[in-house]
Amino acid sequence: MFSVYLQALISGLLIGGVFSLISVGLTLTFGVMKIKNFAHGDFLIVGMYFAFFCYTLIGIDPYIAALIGVPLFFGVGWMLQKFLIRPVLEAPETIKILITVGISLCLQNIAVFFFSSDYQTVQVAYASNTIEVLGARISLTRLAATLLAVVIVVGLYQFLMRTRTGRAIRAVAEDGDGARAVGINIDRIYMTALGISTACVCIAGAMMTPFFYIAPTVGISFTLTAFVVVVLGGLGNLKGALFGGFIIGVVESFGEILMPEAALKQVATFTIFTLILLFRPNGLFGTKLT
Amino acid sequence: MGLKLKTSYLVYGAVFIVLLTLPLYSEASFIVTLMPDGLSGSALLHVFILIFMFGYLASSWNILGGFAGQLSLGHAAFFGIGAYTSSLLYVHFGLSPWIGMFAGAGVATVVGYGLGFISFKYGLRGPFFALVTIAFAEILRLLALYFDFTGGPLGLLIPLASEYTFWEYQFLEKEPYYYIAFGLMLLGILVSAWVSSSKFGYCLRAIRESEEAAEALGIHAMFNKMHAVALSGALTALAGTFYAQYTQYIVPDDVIKLALSIEIILFAVIGGKGMVMGPVVGTFLLVPVGEMTRVVFEGGGTGTSLVALLNEKVPALDKLVNYVGYLASGGGGGLAILLYGIILVVCCLVLPRGVLPAFIRPGAGMERAK
Repeated sequence: MFSVYLQALISGLLIGGVFSLISVGLTLTFGVMKIKNFAHGDFLIVGMYFAFFCYTLIGIDPYIAALIGVPLFFGVGWMLQKFLIRPVLEAPETIKILITVGISLCLQNIAVFFFSSDYQTVQVAYASNTIEVLGARISLTRLAATLLAVVIVVGLYQFLMRTRTGRAIRAVAEDGDGARAVGINIDRIYMTALGISTACVCIAGAMMTPFFYIAPTVGISFTLTAFVVVVLGGLGNLKGALFGGFIIGVVESFGEILMPEAALKQVATFTIFTLILLFRPNGLFGTKLT
Repeated sequence: MGLKLKTSYLVYGAVFIVLLTLPLYSEASFIVTLMPDGLSGSALLHVFILIFMFGYLASSWNILGGFAGQLSLGHAAFFGIGAYTSSLLYVHFGLSPWIGMFAGAGVATVVGYGLGFISFKYGLRGPFFALVTIAFAEILRLLALYFDFTGGPLGLLIPLASEYTFWEYQFLEKEPYYYIAFGLMLLGILVSAWVSSSKFGYCLRAIRESEEAAEALGIHAMFNKMHAVALSGALTALAGTFYAQYTQYIVPDDVIKLALSIEIILFAVIGGKGMVMGPVVGTFLLVPVGEMTRVVFEGGGTGTSLVALLNEKVPALDKLVNYVGYLASGGGGGLAILLYGIILVVCCLVLPRGVLPAFIRPGAGMERAK
């Protein structure tokens, strides 16, 4: 029995890193622009299809594709902020949400149109390689994804703490008017923030391809998961997103053992989500960005 | 203002009379020549039945999302409650869907009050209320998939009545459905008009603009919002029963899907939320566009799969040509919804208050809502 729980713990931690990386992007836009991006999970498919085509057409490994795609991923967010989100920043809350819902519809159906709604996979040679620790099996691709995710999140944290742009981003998150008063170009910071946000999700998407299917509608459940993680960790709190991702990963994975029925497991996830929203709206770690 | 109102009444009156008499001449020769291929007779009625139903759904959503300003992204849950309650009562107990319809609305009312209570009691607003409604709809969908008595993933097939009578809510022809849907839409408009001019409606608008200010004036924000969820949900449930009886077959992935919730919102927002006629106008503008796109682009399709196309052993250029051919024949589909998405984004950017305000007072909708 011990090994079953160990296995659950490990697979939870392994998917948790990916959850963290996805949620970090959401929490960043949340903290900096106060935008609740309902299209967040749908950016996964940008990274996923990018990795898929790199692998299928030119034979580039998904992990390398994740790296060379970064400028593209960043650019997608930058453009989106510039042309679609910036004009509605002063609009009522409903419009801000609806525009991201519209973007989500567009992303999904662009993918359906160009790549069809069929499920695709990337079958790398090392996909089924595992290592054994204390009798528990660890999939190498998942391990790599989680480790890389943690490295990226820690790197992002250092970027925010140590660089000039990072400081500017934190300043804007704390007080937009104050930041403007000291001469920070807020529009630029917003574009950078959404760029970083989409880049994080897209990298996560590309890294997931060796062990996850690719389909246009894959994003919805991840959008919800990311919101769970972000709310649990504290809205706009980077560390919260990192730890929240692992917590949700482990909770889901234990849920899988306790409730073998897949449908009920998801019901449990959504119920927990609702409870967190209701009773712990400020999360476990508070709502400061860093 | 008075004159403007009168012209709009004239327009609505004319449309009303045309729609009321449409089944009489839906197969007349001028319709056949006027409309594109095959869009006459029962096909035309079908499009209008969809328009009426969605117009009604959007109006129902509007009470909560428009007047009260509480963004619900899970209205498909109430739709599903309506569809499943009446169908289950009919399948298991033989109860007439006409009664089941009100049972469904009753269940939706109770659920609406419950959902409103837990959400507003703990002060959920804006995006968080939206997230809880999504989660709520997803939970219902998963439960409907899981349990046996709801038919699970196979859904419920509504058994054919031995004879088509009004009491069975089943008809061979499209006309009865047409008039029921038309009646629903009128009901939606009437209820919206009542809400709009009643004290309740003014309370909801006050809450939408500023909950604190409304409370300071002595409006009980939580109760009013709960009434709005319950009323909106109950109305939505009635349409669920209609849909179940119209299609005679319901599955969780069809009646409780997120896409349905979003479609409802789309029509209301693009028409003009918080206005009596906004959602209906939005539906009349958008459903034909969507149906047209479906007919034009998703007729045939080559049936080739993307992977097969990519793995073909032909030069890169031929591959590209094949792929362009694949796209030209409709690609993987999805164009209708893509169009909706683009329209929603553009609408948020250019007409955040919807098209109807721009119709009434040209340029009125253009000003950016601050």
